[in-house]
Amino acid sequence: MQLERINEKFGSCAKMLIKRRWLAIAAFIVVMVVSFHAMQSMVMESSFDDYFMEDDPVLKMTDEFKSHFGNDYFVGVLTQCDNHFTHDNLQLLRKLCNELMDSLSYAEKITSLTDIEFMVGSEDGMTIEQIVPDEIPTSQSALDSVRMRAYSKPNVARKLVSADGKLSWILVKLRTFPEDSVWKQTSNIAPDMITGAETHRIITKPEYASLHPLATGMPYTSQQKVEYINHAMGKLMIMALIICVVVMLIMTRSLRGVVAPIIAIVGGLFMMFGLSTKIFDYVDMTTTMVPVILAFAVAIAYNIHFFTYFNSRMRIHGCRLKAVVETVSEIGWSVCFCGLTTIVSLLSFLAISIKPMQNLGIMCSLSVLFILLITITITPVLLSFGKDKKVLLADDSPRESRMSRLMVGLGDFNMRHSRVLCSCFAAVCVVLCIGMFKIEPAFDVERTMGIEVDYVSKLMQVGRSEIGSLYSYDLMIEFPDNDEAKQPQNLKALEEMERVARGYKQTKRTTSILDILKDLNQTINAGDTAFYAIPQTEEEIAQLLMLYENAGGSEAEYWVDYDYRRLRLMIEISNYNSADSEYEMADIQAQAHKLFPSAQVTVVGNLPQFTTMMQYLVRGQMQSFFISILIIGIIMMIAFQSIRLGLLGMIPNVMPAIFVGGYMGWAGIPLDMMTATIIPMMLGLAVDDTIHFFNHSKLEYDRTGDYDESSRRTFRVVGVAIVSTSIITSAVFGTFITDQCLNILYFGLLAIIGILSALAADLIITPALMKYFKVFH
Amino acid sequence: MKQIIILAIAMTISLGSEAQTLDGRAIVQMVKERADGDTRSSDMELTLVKKNGSTRQRKLTSWAMDEGKDTKKIMFFTYPGDVKGTGFLTWDYDNPQKDDDKWLYLPAMKKTRRISGSSSKTDYFMGTDFTYDDMGSRNVDEDTHTLLREEVRDGQKCWVVESRPIDKREIYSRKVMWIRQDCHTTIYVEYYDKLDKLHRVFSVGDIKQVQGFWTVMRMEMKNVQTGHSTIIEMKNPQYNVGGVDKNMFTVSKLEKGL
Repeated sequence: MQLERINEKFGSCAKMLIKRRWLAIAAFIVVMVVSFHAMQSMVMESSFDDYFMEDDPVLKMTDEFKSHFGNDYFVGVLTQCDNHFTHDNLQLLRKLCNELMDSLSYAEKITSLTDIEFMVGSEDGMTIEQIVPDEIPTSQSALDSVRMRAYSKPNVARKLVSADGKLSWILVKLRTFPEDSVWKQTSNIAPDMITGAETHRIITKPEYASLHPLATGMPYTSQQKVEYINHAMGKLMIMALIICVVVMLIMTRSLRGVVAPIIAIVGGLFMMFGLSTKIFDYVDMTTTMVPVILAFAVAIAYNIHFFTYFNSRMRIHGCRLKAVVETVSEIGWSVCFCGLTTIVSLLSFLAISIKPMQNLGIMCSLSVLFILLITITITPVLLSFGKDKKVLLADDSPRESRMSRLMVGLGDFNMRHSRVLCSCFAAVCVVLCIGMFKIEPAFDVERTMGIEVDYVSKLMQVGRSEIGSLYSYDLMIEFPDNDEAKQPQNLKALEEMERVARGYKQTKRTTSILDILKDLNQTINAGDTAFYAIPQTEEEIAQLLMLYENAGGSEAEYWVDYDYRRLRLMIEISNYNSADSEYEMADIQAQAHKLFPSAQVTVVGNLPQFTTMMQYLVRGQMQSFFISILIIGIIMMIAFQSIRLGLLGMIPNVMPAIFVGGYMGWAGIPLDMMTATIIPMMLGLAVDDTIHFFNHSKLEYDRTGDYDESSRRTFRVVGVAIVSTSIITSAVFGTFITDQCLNILYFGLLAIIGILSALAADLIITPALMKYFKVFH
Repeated sequence: MKQIIILAIAMTISLGSEAQTLDGRAIVQMVKERADGDTRSSDMELTLVKKNGSTRQRKLTSWAMDEGKDTKKIMFFTYPGDVKGTGFLTWDYDNPQKDDDKWLYLPAMKKTRRISGSSSKTDYFMGTDFTYDDMGSRNVDEDTHTLLREEVRDGQKCWVVESRPIDKREIYSRKVMWIRQDCHTTIYVEYYDKLDKLHRVFSVGDIKQVQGFWTVMRMEMKNVQTGHSTIIEMKNPQYNVGGVDKNMFTVSKLEKGL
């Protein structure tokens, strides 16, 4: 009775809508224009700092670090040639360095073979000069002396040039990026994106081709990622669009059937991105594809429901307006209800303390909501235009198609072998459940994006080279009082800390104030290597630093803070393994606590951010999963008006989670920003089919009083629909499998596994459960 | 030496008001040539202020003298304790092609070291927000100067001059200076970065005449992008100081200390 009343309401709304259909179209166009206008100020980001909530302790520590030591982001460029110590190569290297310094908007300081504060000591003086003279020599003997000078200080050389002279490393330190509120006044491109794009533009110039420059550093990596995803998204959108057109053309055999979902997709995405621009600081590029592809999936599914029912009514009576009203009346509520369960499930992303994940939950929900609204308003309006048709069928009995017959056969088979099938299903589930414990979260570019992606492959090449590095993290040691950072005993402890850090598997090199101090001490003592050591007294240290500052040295500020209260130890790594990193960072903190018992020790930088995000993601994923299950369970109980039915209905719905999670674990697919979205999304989509199946089974059981017969009839009607929508949705997600990028590929694969496992569960488990528990008694 | 620094800033800043048909270059030249005696001395206090409000202080005593267009300066740190007695001697040459000579004496090691080479003029002076160029005698022809307008600032009639560096590797793309017409002193400067965004702001807090010479007693440089600022205060400035001669600006004097 209640459902009938709801359907009547939908029916009367449809009548009103058709009466004012031109007004509805005009209102839709206005909303589109406004949304499109709002989208123009959208800020795209992909920076790790933006992944954290504003009050997150990791972000606060990073901000604290930045307030003392400046921008922790850098741009690194690796150059490769047969020999850097030739006139032409040195000249080209200098030109490249000059261009990086001049053309990178946020460049602050450059360190390279041709730009280095190279301290040279003599009996009476100290000079800060260049390894490579202003006038680059042409004679072999002069070039040999440049080479000798470069290698004269092994501790300097190891940061600039490889032992064979074939590789050189350029490090560009960046100015502190302005606050968001400052740069957003004049631009919608973030400073790190600008820096990345400028770097790419410079290193890809043909004139530098002989140096084969490869860049790294977070701004460059982020910009390349955005660039790649933009490109991939365009490609996937076109493919999804083609699939959408073909599928809808086959299913509806009408132009309107193709146009309606496209309007819903485009309209829904415009509205979602328009509103997101207004409510979020930025839109994260990494996950933007998720709401886009979801839009395709739900728009097709909802419109198929509408068109299938509309066509069947048209075949019966041929009266267009009447068929539209009947369609909205019969289908409107069930589509809305399914949409709402999906939205609720997607909102469970809010449980994950990672900003773009929360934003993604809202964006996906908005996307589904807007597509739902457009489908129940604009699709009926579109269907209402046109002439009535001749009646093709004498009654409204459904015509038995080949598909229906196949489904009935499948239903019969399932009911006959339900015990065996359920046992097999349970066995598979047990195996997959074990696999779920093997899931490993990952945030590094190699595992999430994959080595097949060109820029990732180049990054890895830099990381694995003799002198390039991929990531870095910093240890900040904060003493209780000012000036303690320049006390010799604390610097000796820092030296020990460096020794510990260099012993780690992943460490490529370490940098701290000690590099400068020891070099200064050696320099002031006529270059005697015996003095490459920490000075003996605090006064010596303070005065050496004064000498350094006055000589124009400006590197020290990166390694010891303003009050001489904080020391920084930067650890660069060449490769990344999440387990090794977690161990090394925990160990370095423990060692630092022992060596600096009175100081506060903090690890900051990209790697601790990765680790924290992994912890958040794992915890958030679990919370998100249980919240979705809980809310969907409640919705099912309300929908079926029975706690028992609601609980039973959850069994097939958990299946996609087990299948997806189990497969991820066994196949070694890491949990990342994209794959973490799959399970809640699958729950949201799978529950629709379960609701359809339960509802229809109850209806048929009420009519027949027999579980086998009701199951057969349900397979005939609902089976066809859920198999069709599952295949179509899988085809849409299947476009992702064509991408080279691992997390896009995995996303598509896991989505298909989720959809098909949900379908299998609905077709195998649900009828068996209904019969076994006699749920409609 | 602080005095020298102040004077140097004033040099960069001061002008002659008798100019009738002045262009930007002539005004900046007048600032540079503003009278400041042949010798000078003062005590200086440098206060570095971070965005979070924490401060760091350094105190120095300094002397300077002119030798033609060149300037010699010597300064000794008096605070903080661990650098007390550290001496700094510089010979600033007007010729932009010639590197300045610098020596530093380190009492803890009883060593003097001549500092030379590529120390860039765009580097910041001892961790302050002032570059060596801001503190020193930048040659007028290292920039191109344009007189933008005349306007009243802080109740004083000023020329507003825009200077753009010829060397593109300078840290600023342009600076706009407000130069008091009465005392040929720059009282306010805006430095713009390579993106043409405001980077640093120089302002003068107190100008008075000492022995007939216009003297900037307090000046501040604020980096508006980082929120860091440096205040330099001049104490006890003196001009044409007796007993100051070129023998004072030598390495042996540097090692002898105050």
